[in-house]
Amino acid sequence: MIAVTELRKLRDNHPVLDGICLTVRRGEVAAVVGPSGGGKSTLIRCLNALETFHSGRIDVDGLTLNPESGGKTPKATLLALRRKVGMVFQQFNLFPHMTALENVMSGPRFALGQPRDKAAAIARPLLERVGLAHKADARPDQLSGGQQQRVAIARALAVNPAVMLFDEPTSALDAQMAADVMAVIVDLAKSGQTMVVVTHSAEFTKLAHTIHVLEGGRLVSSGPPA
Amino acid sequence: MANRAAFVRVVIDAPAVTCFYYPSRARRRAFPEPPELEESSRRFPSLLAVPFLLLSSLAADAADPPPLRWGGDKAGGAPFIYEEPGKGEVGFEVELARFLGEKLGRKPEFVQCDWDTIPDVLERGNIDVGLNGLEYRPEWEAKFPSTVPYFVYTLRLIVRDGNVAIRSWDDLRIPRNGKPRVGVLRGSFAERYMQDKFGDDVEVIATKEVDETFQLVEEGVRMDATVQDSPAAVYYVQGGRREKLKVVGPPVPAGYYVILTRPKDVELREQLNAVIKEALAIGKLEAIYRKYGLWDKDQERLAELHSQPWPPAGEAKKGLSLGDIADKIARAAWMTIKLACCSMPLAILIGMVVAVGRMYGPWPLRVILTAYVEVLRGTPLLLQMYVWFFLVPNLVRQLGGDDLAQWFSAAPFYVGVFGLAINYSAAEAENYRAGLQAIPRGQMEAALALGMSPLTAIRRVMLPQAIRIVIPPVTNDFIALFKDTSICSMILITELTGLYYQYKYDRDLVLELALTIALIYLLISYPLSLLAGYLERRLEGGREKK
Repeated sequence: MIAVTELRKLRDNHPVLDGICLTVRRGEVAAVVGPSGGGKSTLIRCLNALETFHSGRIDVDGLTLNPESGGKTPKATLLALRRKVGMVFQQFNLFPHMTALENVMSGPRFALGQPRDKAAAIARPLLERVGLAHKADARPDQLSGGQQQRVAIARALAVNPAVMLFDEPTSALDAQMAADVMAVIVDLAKSGQTMVVVTHSAEFTKLAHTIHVLEGGRLVSSGPPA
Repeated sequence: MANRAAFVRVVIDAPAVTCFYYPSRARRRAFPEPPELEESSRRFPSLLAVPFLLLSSLAADAADPPPLRWGGDKAGGAPFIYEEPGKGEVGFEVELARFLGEKLGRKPEFVQCDWDTIPDVLERGNIDVGLNGLEYRPEWEAKFPSTVPYFVYTLRLIVRDGNVAIRSWDDLRIPRNGKPRVGVLRGSFAERYMQDKFGDDVEVIATKEVDETFQLVEEGVRMDATVQDSPAAVYYVQGGRREKLKVVGPPVPAGYYVILTRPKDVELREQLNAVIKEALAIGKLEAIYRKYGLWDKDQERLAELHSQPWPPAGEAKKGLSLGDIADKIARAAWMTIKLACCSMPLAILIGMVVAVGRMYGPWPLRVILTAYVEVLRGTPLLLQMYVWFFLVPNLVRQLGGDDLAQWFSAAPFYVGVFGLAINYSAAEAENYRAGLQAIPRGQMEAALALGMSPLTAIRRVMLPQAIRIVIPPVTNDFIALFKDTSICSMILITELTGLYYQYKYDRDLVLELALTIALIYLLISYPLSLLAGYLERRLEGGREKK
C-alpha cells in the first residue's frame, strides 16, 4: 500500500529524515513513535506531499512521489494521491466559516465535486459515527477541542481514503477529550482501515500491528508491539 | 510666489502686526510673568522682538511701490495668457497688464490661480486684481467691483469640421437620439447661457480647460460641440491653430471682460479705469488686440461704454437659492452614490484576484502584480483619472487610429467608475493579501489534504475567511472612496463636488451650497464609519474567542 524508500530530507543542511525505509500493507495499523524532534510529523507529512523531500521515493497505491531532484511531481498525481490519503492534524484545522456538517461535506463537494445533497448523505452518517450528529449545525468555535477533532476525523473519512494519517491527534487535548478521540481512532483501526498514526498513546501502540521508532531522523526499529 | 505675497501683506496690514506684537490680556493672564519683568516685557517682549524685526525688514522692501499682483490662469491658454519658450508669459492680457503696471508705476506680477477661483483668491488677498477673461456680472459688483470693460466678447459655437448635424445654433435643438453634448468652460457665462437657453435640448458639460474641450470635440466621440468666448474661438479655430474644428452660426452677443478688484481699493479702481480708457483712446488696446487677431467691430463699442458711468445702472439679477437647484443637488448626490457603489465591488473583485496572484502565483506574475499595486498606490488618483480620460484615448488614436480610439473614449461615468476601481483595487489587493496571510497555515494544508486543487482551496477555504477578516478595512476604504468620487468632477461628471464648482460663481449661494454638500457627504459617510467600527469590534472579538 505504502512503500517508502531511502527517504532523505534536509532542513538548513541538517537531515531531518535520513534514509527511511518502511512499508505499510493494506489493512495494517502502523504507529510511529519516538522523541519529539525525531522526524515523525515530517515523515507522515511527506506521505501526502505537504512536505517535499530531497531524495528517495514514496509509492502510495501505485502513485509515485518524486524527490525535489527528480523534477516536479505532476499536479494530477498530487491530487489523486491526496484523495487516497486522508489526514488528521494535531490542531484539527477545521474550516471556521463552515458548520460541522459543512466541514465534513467539504471533501466530497469541493475535492470530488459531488452535489450538495449527495455530500450531505455521506457526511451525516460519518458525524453519527464520531458521536456528533447533534452538533451538525454548530460552528467549530462552538465545539470543544475533542469534538472538533472528531469532526476533523469525519471530514477526512468523507472522501473515503485508502489510508488515514494521524499527526499526533490527541496531544492538543486534555485526558478526557483525548480518550473520546482515541476511542474513535481505535474503532476505526478495528474496522480494517489502513492507517499511520503518530502518537504517544500507550493504548494505541498496543493495538497497532507495527511500531516504527524514529529518532534523530533515523528509523531505529520496526516491528510488532512487545 | 503667492505665499510670499501673502506674507508681505501681513506686514503692510498694521493691525496684524499689532496683534503679533502686543500679547493680549487673556494671554497674559493665562501665563503670568514675573512682576519685575512685566513693565519691559509689555512694551518689548524679547521673544516677540525677533519676528518683529524680521517683519520690519521685509516691510522695508515693500516700501517701494508694491507690485501689481494680477491673478489669472495659464491653463485658460492662448490668446489670454500662455507661455512661450524663452519668452515667459505672453498673451493679450499679459500685454494689457504690462501697460497697466507701467502707467501705475507698479511692477506687474502674474499670480497663477485656478480660473474659477480667481474671485476667491482676490477675496483672500493674495492678488490685487483679477484679470483673465472675467465677465462683467451685475450680481458681483458688491463683492468684486469691476473696472470699465477692456474687451467686448461674443459666444461662438464650435464643432468638428465635417459635422453635418450641427451647422447652426438652431441645429442644437433638433431632437435626435441622444442630446448633443456641448462643452463649456466651468463657471463661465457660456455655461449659464447654454443652461438657460438650451438646457432642455443639449447636455451641457462643464470643462476645466479650453484645450481639453477642443480635444474632446476633435475626437467627436464624447463631445459634439463647444461654446467658447470669441478670443479662444478666433485665435484657435479661425486662426487655423485647430484645423479639425470650425465655427458655425453667428456670434451671440455676450458681454464684456472687466478687471475685478476689492471693494476697498477705490483709488486703484479709478486709476485702472483711467488707464484702460487711455489705452483705448491712444490705440494701445487696438494694437495689442490686432497682434492676436482679436480686434473686431465689437470693440468699437468700448468707446461708448467708456463715456458712460460704470457700472451701468440697472437691477442686479437675483441670485439662485438652494431650493432652485434642489433637484440638481439630489441628482448629483445620486451620481456620487452610483460612482461609489459601482466602483467599490469592482475594486474588491480586482483586488482579490491580484492578492491571490501575488500570494500563490508563479514568480513572473507576482512581479507584475507587485508593480501594478505599487504604481497605483504610489501615484495620485487625480493624475490617474486624467490619464484614463484624456491621455489613453489620445495615445490609442495615435497608435491605432480613430476606430480603435472609440472604444477607449467611453462616457465619463464609465471612465470614472473604472478609474476609481483600478485605483482602489491596489488598496484592496493589499487588504486581501494581509487577510490571506492572517489565516493559519493549517487551513490551506487541511484543504489540500482533502484533495482540493489549490484554486478550489483558495476559493472555498481561504477567500471566505479572508473576506471576513478584511471587512473592517474594506469598509474604511469604501468611506475613503466615497469621498474620492469628488475627483470625478475633473472628468466632466457632475457629482456633488462638480455641482459645487458649477454654482460657486453665485456668491450668495456658494456658502450654503458648500455646507449642504459637505453635510450630504457626512450624512452618508458617518453611518458607514459607525458600521466599520462595529464590524471591527465584532469580528475581532470573534477571532479572539478561538
